Amino acid sequence: MLIFLLRRLLQACFVMIIISLISFSIQDKLGDPVQQMVAMTVSPEERNQLRNELGLNDGFLIQYWRFAKGAIQGDLGTSYYYKEPALDVILEKLPATLELAFCAILIVILIATPCGVMAAIKPKHILSRLLMVTSSIGLSVPIFIVAILMVYIFSIELNIAPSFGRGQTTEVLGLWESGLFNKNGLSHLLLPSLSLAIALMPIFVRLIRAEMMDVLQSEYIRFAWSKGLSARRIYFIHALKNTMLPVITVGGIQAGTLVAYTILTETIFQWPGMGFLFMDSVSRVDTPLVSAYLIVVGGIFVITNTFVDLIYGLFNPTVRLASHGL
Amino acid sequence: MKIKVIIACCLALLLYNKAVATTLKIAYDTDPVSLDPHEQLSESTLQFSHLVFDPLLRWNKNGQFEARLATKWERLDSHTMRFFLRKNVVFSTGNTFSSKDVAYTIERLKKSPDFRAMFDTIDKVTMVDEYTIDVHTTYTNPLLLNIMTYVFPIDKAFYQGKDQIIKYGETFASRNVSGTGPYILDNRELGSWMELTRNPNYWDKNSKGNADKIILTPIRTDSTRLAALLSGDVDFIFPVSPIDIERAKKVSGIQLVTLPSTRILLLHMNQNRRKEFQDVRVRKAINLAINQALIVDKILKGYATPAGQLSSDRFLGHINGLEPEYDVEKALELMKEAGYEKGFRISMMAPNNRYMSDEKVAQAISAMLSRIGITVELKTLPKAQYFKEYDNRSADMMMLGWQSDTMDSNNLFEFIIACPDTNTGMGAYNASEYCRPEIDADIRQANREMNPERRLRLLQQIEWKIYNDSAVVPLYWQSLTWAAKDGVNIKDIVNDQNYPHIGDLFIEE
Amino acid sequence: MKHPKKDLTHPIAGSRWNHIWSGVVGDKLAMMALIIFVFYCLVALLAPLVAPYDVSDPAFMDLLNSELPPSWISGNSQFLLGTDAQGRDLLSVILYGTRLSLTIGICAVLIQVTLGICIGLVAGYLGGRIDNFLMRCADIQLSFSNMMVAIVFLAIFQSLFGMARYQQLAMVILILVIGLTEWPLFARTIRASVLAEKQQEYVDAARVMGISSKRIMFRHILPNTLSPILVIFTVQIANAIVAEAALSFLGLGMPATEPSLGSLISEGFAYMFAGSWWICVIPSITLIILILAMNLLGDWLRDHLNPRAYKD
Repeated sequence: MLIFLLRRLLQACFVMIIISLISFSIQDKLGDPVQQMVAMTVSPEERNQLRNELGLNDGFLIQYWRFAKGAIQGDLGTSYYYKEPALDVILEKLPATLELAFCAILIVILIATPCGVMAAIKPKHILSRLLMVTSSIGLSVPIFIVAILMVYIFSIELNIAPSFGRGQTTEVLGLWESGLFNKNGLSHLLLPSLSLAIALMPIFVRLIRAEMMDVLQSEYIRFAWSKGLSARRIYFIHALKNTMLPVITVGGIQAGTLVAYTILTETIFQWPGMGFLFMDSVSRVDTPLVSAYLIVVGGIFVITNTFVDLIYGLFNPTVRLASHGL
Repeated sequence: MKIKVIIACCLALLLYNKAVATTLKIAYDTDPVSLDPHEQLSESTLQFSHLVFDPLLRWNKNGQFEARLATKWERLDSHTMRFFLRKNVVFSTGNTFSSKDVAYTIERLKKSPDFRAMFDTIDKVTMVDEYTIDVHTTYTNPLLLNIMTYVFPIDKAFYQGKDQIIKYGETFASRNVSGTGPYILDNRELGSWMELTRNPNYWDKNSKGNADKIILTPIRTDSTRLAALLSGDVDFIFPVSPIDIERAKKVSGIQLVTLPSTRILLLHMNQNRRKEFQDVRVRKAINLAINQALIVDKILKGYATPAGQLSSDRFLGHINGLEPEYDVEKALELMKEAGYEKGFRISMMAPNNRYMSDEKVAQAISAMLSRIGITVELKTLPKAQYFKEYDNRSADMMMLGWQSDTMDSNNLFEFIIACPDTNTGMGAYNASEYCRPEIDADIRQANREMNPERRLRLLQQIEWKIYNDSAVVPLYWQSLTWAAKDGVNIKDIVNDQNYPHIGDLFIEE
Repeated sequence: MKHPKKDLTHPIAGSRWNHIWSGVVGDKLAMMALIIFVFYCLVALLAPLVAPYDVSDPAFMDLLNSELPPSWISGNSQFLLGTDAQGRDLLSVILYGTRLSLTIGICAVLIQVTLGICIGLVAGYLGGRIDNFLMRCADIQLSFSNMMVAIVFLAIFQSLFGMARYQQLAMVILILVIGLTEWPLFARTIRASVLAEKQQEYVDAARVMGISSKRIMFRHILPNTLSPILVIFTVQIANAIVAEAALSFLGLGMPATEPSLGSLISEGFAYMFAGSWWICVIPSITLIILILAMNLLGDWLRDHLNPRAYKD
């Protein structure tokens, strides 16, 4: 077990080094940050001097070394635009993204679970068929089209929900600014989280349905039937419980999709989260911020994956055998 | 009796409603990078300066000077101008405003990398008494007043000693602010929002401004910004994309105000990269092949003015009646005369997020040039990358927009037309690499010429030379459009420089 | 599965296609999806012949005709689906856009398949450390979702080549990025099938007969894993097209001068509020129908080729 753990940690470190190299290599390639900082009338010499002061004229390895040294101490550089440590800027935006993702996942769980179960236990039922067709269509409509439609219908035509930003926030326990605890914040959350949820929903409905169908055919469910347990108990306690483990693992893999989708959603709704910050800093050529974002997101990925692996390895020893025994 | 009570209650309620703070929510395209008014010479910094500071004088809607912190001014001699300052003005810190603050501000402007170019002309400032200053220029300068509109006096006692201007670091001035302006900054999160409250001690008691609180939010996408107004999230937005104007006009409860601006959009034809462009007939043909009126009509929906010259009609150098020409037949003939009957290939670059519909205009131009046999390889880049390519002169044809800081033609000529000279900074944005020493001489002379009559002739003469030489392709002067809910009287406070005087904004209840 | 059927040892490609074909004919939905897909492919292939206007003609883009609504609204039969903001005939632009999107999608998935098959076969057949290493790579790659990786890499490519060079190479780079990011899906499936097949007697027999492992892998094992690949193949094309569209929407994909369906939608988005909805809506519908057809086809193939599941 210890070797397994060490090996995973080593892999995690290796991945992080690669990510840091990649994200650093874009540092000075995304355009000229100096151009963004000065007015049109400033002379080329002054620009060059500024570039020297910023260390932009040093060699690649020198710059990387400087970057890596700082990164280990938690210093991912200073954002050109915000003039604050890049990590602080990103962490400041983290709650917004987390809240958005959290609400979307909540909606997905609340709607996708009953739908998936329904489609699995009564596959021939007209509602199930309708559900599957809807999910096929849902799967085929790209998230940005969903988001555009949402803005157009609910915000412009019907004027029900605000179309941009996060609205009012309140401080929770002095930890973060949250939009979940007041009406204005919640109304702003509605459209983005709904768009995100609609985009993720079909994936999960299908996943739950497929897994549920597999489970329903397994020996112990048949055994449960023969024992005469009630249908509701079998479906919702025994079968669903066993469906959820693979769904959660696959769901964990979807975390990357979720991050990519938040970038799209946040861009359209101007949601002041990490994804919006990322696209913004790409267009502002705020390179320290761009690479810091990559490192932070990469770090989150690596940590969650290692974690999921470890948990899975702990609870299900056959996994270790399956992937390492051969 | 009962009725009286009810009426009294209603009245009380009404009064109470009046007493409730009016909040104005504004969405604009970009927010200022720093709170330091002297760190960056940009539209957003100046918009911010008009909120929290006051200029010595400002342009009013009709293009006249309006006295603000300076009550009046007079010319003492050819090099000196005297300004009389307003009394009883206090900064938000409580310090009293006087001539020392103005002298200090101008000294600081002369040190700011962005403003230095403009303020180099000022030699020194002397304080005559507490409310009078003399500004001395190095040579006779006809544009001194224009430049003085950029002087927003800052609080000397507050900033002194910690007033360094650093482009990429955190400074005291980039985080703290003390001005005399109509609003006081409460709080802000860079890139997200900015909150201001009305200055209770504002000196201008005649100001109609009645918003107690202002919340400014930057929204980059044009359509999202408009959507925010339509859904009632904000009360006032700028700019509005020409594409959306017609639709927004149909919405009830929304008002739009459009003003022509002086920002000129133009194309540079690089004569060093392409020998074809050295032939005046080719340059003329390109000018003739581009249909400015159609671009303005179709892409900008009429919210621009087609340009046949660089100076807009507000500028001294403007020549009445010099309209853009469009004649493909004649253009083809000129191409034939020049020996390029078969046409040629050129590269072209344009930004895609800097000016209104810039990418679409560039595409339309490449289609228009293909009619006279010029095949255009067009690339459009985000502004951050575009201006790097621009400095390198990476394409044969490049697009540029220019707003004259001094509201004068000569600023255009100095940067866009003059021979490129790295020592003086002249022609820094001359991507045509077009060079006529006699024009340079005229430009230098116009910088010192005090006689308006002679100066007018000089500037018009330059404009004619550029036109006859087809040195560049002028496209159009962008129009500016603002939109707000009804009852927000924006039409009284907007101006052609896009520095709305929000301090004077009156909101009807 | 302990006693492999006779035909598994010598799979005949024809019989498989027959099997699929007969199924398609029997299922109306699948039939429809297939027809739509074939129609799109044909239209994309023949775009230069079908399109009412030649997009390379200098007269194609005429601002005078900009933003004309579709013919059923304007009554103007010159432009069936109207024109975009540049005065281009929307139908022609969409035809060429579909061609681009499909090309990018199919090429990208071909790269995925090639990579996936090679890696999957090697990993499954050789096993041991190599398998371990390759599957870890696949895990890591999968955990980063292709969209995320594509966004990052396109941003990097744009900066490496500079936006100017990038626009010339946009199509190749998009294909490479989308192609290189989703191979693990194929690799895993192949590896699993290989592991299952490896236990079969015919593989042992082949090995005993002294046939090289390369030959065993490609001639004997691979054909038996084709069914799941076909399923993933179909769905992946849909995914690749969506990915391309999303990237173009973010401004990281095809340039406006050479629009794919995604960049058409992105460009049209600005006109949605102005009332010229068709510039955005018609390409969107074109895209959605294509993806829907691909997904339905994939679903149906999965159900049909894998009788164990969902047939209760």
